[in-house]
Amino acid sequence: MARVKQSRSCETAELVSAYLDGQLLPGELDTVVTHLGECADCIAEFHQLKEVRAALRTLPFLEIPEHLLPDTHPGELLSAYLDGQLDTSEHDFVISHLDFCTDCRLELHELDSARTAIRSLPGLEPPEFLTVHRERIERERWSRRRVVAAGVGIAAAAAFVFAIFGPTTETGDLDLIPLFDQHQARVSVDSGFNVIPAFAPAGESP
Amino acid sequence: MADDRTPTWEDVARVYGRKIYNFAYRLTGNPDDAADLVQEVLLRVRKGLSSYTPGSFDGWLWRITRNAFLDGVRKQKRRPTSPLPEDDRNVLATSPSPDEVLASVRLSEDIQSALLKLPLDFRECVVLCDVVGLTYEEIAEAIESPVGTVRSRIHRGRKMLRELLTWPV
Repeated sequence: MARVKQSRSCETAELVSAYLDGQLLPGELDTVVTHLGECADCIAEFHQLKEVRAALRTLPFLEIPEHLLPDTHPGELLSAYLDGQLDTSEHDFVISHLDFCTDCRLELHELDSARTAIRSLPGLEPPEFLTVHRERIERERWSRRRVVAAGVGIAAAAAFVFAIFGPTTETGDLDLIPLFDQHQARVSVDSGFNVIPAFAPAGESP
Repeated sequence: MADDRTPTWEDVARVYGRKIYNFAYRLTGNPDDAADLVQEVLLRVRKGLSSYTPGSFDGWLWRITRNAFLDGVRKQKRRPTSPLPEDDRNVLATSPSPDEVLASVRLSEDIQSALLKLPLDFRECVVLCDVVGLTYEEIAEAIESPVGTVRSRIHRGRKMLRELLTWPV
């Protein structure tokens, strides 16, 4: 196990890594920069740590085995990515995936080509005969609208006249008494009309 | 995750899976252990998402990852027949994927080998900083320690690495 040689002489030495990482707290930057300008040991350490840090960051970022992921390819997210329609997490996923997946980079390139081709299609003018035909249709449509408007006007006037001078109708709750009287009259004429048989005590014939 | 909505575990796997795998690989030096750790982390994330309250997702996730790693180390200590590899050259001989072949360049071997010789506390801070790319504050949240502790461990870890690495500066 490696042993760390702790330099007790420089309390600032421990800030060197944080300085390299841009992680100093407010107010510490001046202290470190001033100290590095004065201390040869800390300058030497600064350069050594800079090399180590750089070496650590050259470690290749390995690809995760596919079986560990639920769905390893973005698929339809690629088109949405081209159109800028992804949310943050989806965007991060697509970006990180494209970083290592050649197949998806190729698919993205093809989709982009297709999208560009579609968007570069010129806006065409309709042929002349279609223009003439369209004008005729427009004229006929206008004349039909005028006829319909006239019909609607006449109907509205007729309704108004009928409402003012037509027969009055009584409104209100449905009056059941006449219906009941009619029913009673019908029962008195035809006793078989009632579907519920009359009560007959036991032992008596109807 | 930059937004506040709670991600699904599939989101986590897609967005963070590769980072978790690299963190695990650099800490263990072993692709099988790294894969096991990723699976364990994703399992814990899946269980934990139901009780997760939107906030610092990265801190939450890396805390889970780190705890899963430490639990794995404790298990391995109880089973001394499968120790952590001391040198990734043996590991790379059994891992023929293109990325791992790429990782077998001499410098990477030396660095990986040196990383595995660091005490765990220092190793995890150095890997979270230089491999995963977390800030000191994020690391502090992940390991549940003050930023000052993180700063000290990263500095001392790098100094140890400098002494372990054989190439000239």
